[in-house]
Amino acid sequence: MYKIARFQIYLILISALFLQGSILNYVKVFGAKPDLLLIAVTFFGLFLGPAAGLESGFVAGLLKDVFALDFLWINAVILGLTGFIVGTINTQFFKESKRAFFLFVFFFTVFSMSLHYVIVALLPSSVALGFLEFFMNSIIPIAIYTGLVSIPICVKLLSVYNLKEAEDYL
Amino acid sequence: MKDRKSKIFKVLIVIISLVALIATSKTITSPARVKIVDFLAPSLKALHSFLDSAKNILPFASLREENRLLRERINLLNRKVEELKVVSSDNDRLKELLNFRKTMPFTTIPAQVIGRDPSNWSNSLIVDKGLDGGVKQNKAVLSTKGLVGRVLEVGRYSSKILLITDPNSKVGVMIQRNRQGGILIGSPDGRCKMIYIALDSDVMPGDKVITAGFGMIFPKDIIVGEVVKVDKEPGRLYKSAVVKTAEDLSKLEEILCIK
Repeated sequence: MYKIARFQIYLILISALFLQGSILNYVKVFGAKPDLLLIAVTFFGLFLGPAAGLESGFVAGLLKDVFALDFLWINAVILGLTGFIVGTINTQFFKESKRAFFLFVFFFTVFSMSLHYVIVALLPSSVALGFLEFFMNSIIPIAIYTGLVSIPICVKLLSVYNLKEAEDYL
Repeated sequence: MKDRKSKIFKVLIVIISLVALIATSKTITSPARVKIVDFLAPSLKALHSFLDSAKNILPFASLREENRLLRERINLLNRKVEELKVVSSDNDRLKELLNFRKTMPFTTIPAQVIGRDPSNWSNSLIVDKGLDGGVKQNKAVLSTKGLVGRVLEVGRYSSKILLITDPNSKVGVMIQRNRQGGILIGSPDGRCKMIYIALDSDVMPGDKVITAGFGMIFPKDIIVGEVVKVDKEPGRLYKSAVVKTAEDLSKLEEILCIK
């Protein structure tokens, strides 16, 4: 049993998906919009462990897959894996500081988007876009924007769910 | 024991999704997804309408908050004025769309945007017309200002449009001034790039880019955008150019699908 009810996890993911598919398209900065689903998956992975990270990542990715025009299942695999990795390393860092939120979300946005590029490049379709260009023009702005947006969201989620660092790790 | 079962179940989920990804990776279209989006289309439309109404009402809500002492009558009148402004701007936009349709050499179907891509990788739109509305797969999609993309997935009541700014989009284009050809590709940050431009061509910023009309999807001579920057990388056999799309694709509300 997770510290946050499954129903609430799914509700947060659906709300994030709805915001990402509507309002956030109007607040793009340099063509980048924050990835709320990734923020949520990173948060669940960090504070609820690898199982919750994997589960929430898989569900979030599948939701993305339904509404995006991309290879079906690709986001489920990428976000599921991201959530699992975040959950696996969650005991090795002090994660309650704002700087830690930013760094985690920044790093895992870079990781998931790079993985997306690699998987698409391995699949039978051709990607005309070079990785370096994609990295500089898309990954970095999105990772910075998502990282910054994650700070107030994670602080709010922490206070709402009253999640604390386990004493064993301090 | 239960924990072990749960772990096995989760590993299975990952394996199944990997297998499913590889099995369905020949194309980005998916009939299963079409059915789901089709089923959700009425809800998306309702949410879109709600957002539209919210956009008109929210400024008033904050205004009321800030000016609590103002009389209710003034608020109502203000709201009426704003509503009329919205109606008037909708009217102008739809008139423009109607006039544009009349001048086009092909028949088009107008459709309303009811959803946008939630991911940061792809750039697509969900519109409220599908097979029942006469929309067909792999047909070009336009706006009053120029090319928008093409229809990639069609359901009965909704369709998904692959925008020209999507990394999976490739459009045969040429420079209007010197008929120099190239391929237009998209990027997740919403920009377009014209690649494979001959090294000896004199492409310059400000040149208009139009569709070349190769293939069966995009009609010839449709405005795509304007060159903003030309790049010539050392060691490359071709030049490339950054293209600003004629239409701001992030703010599209209505589109025209070619029949």
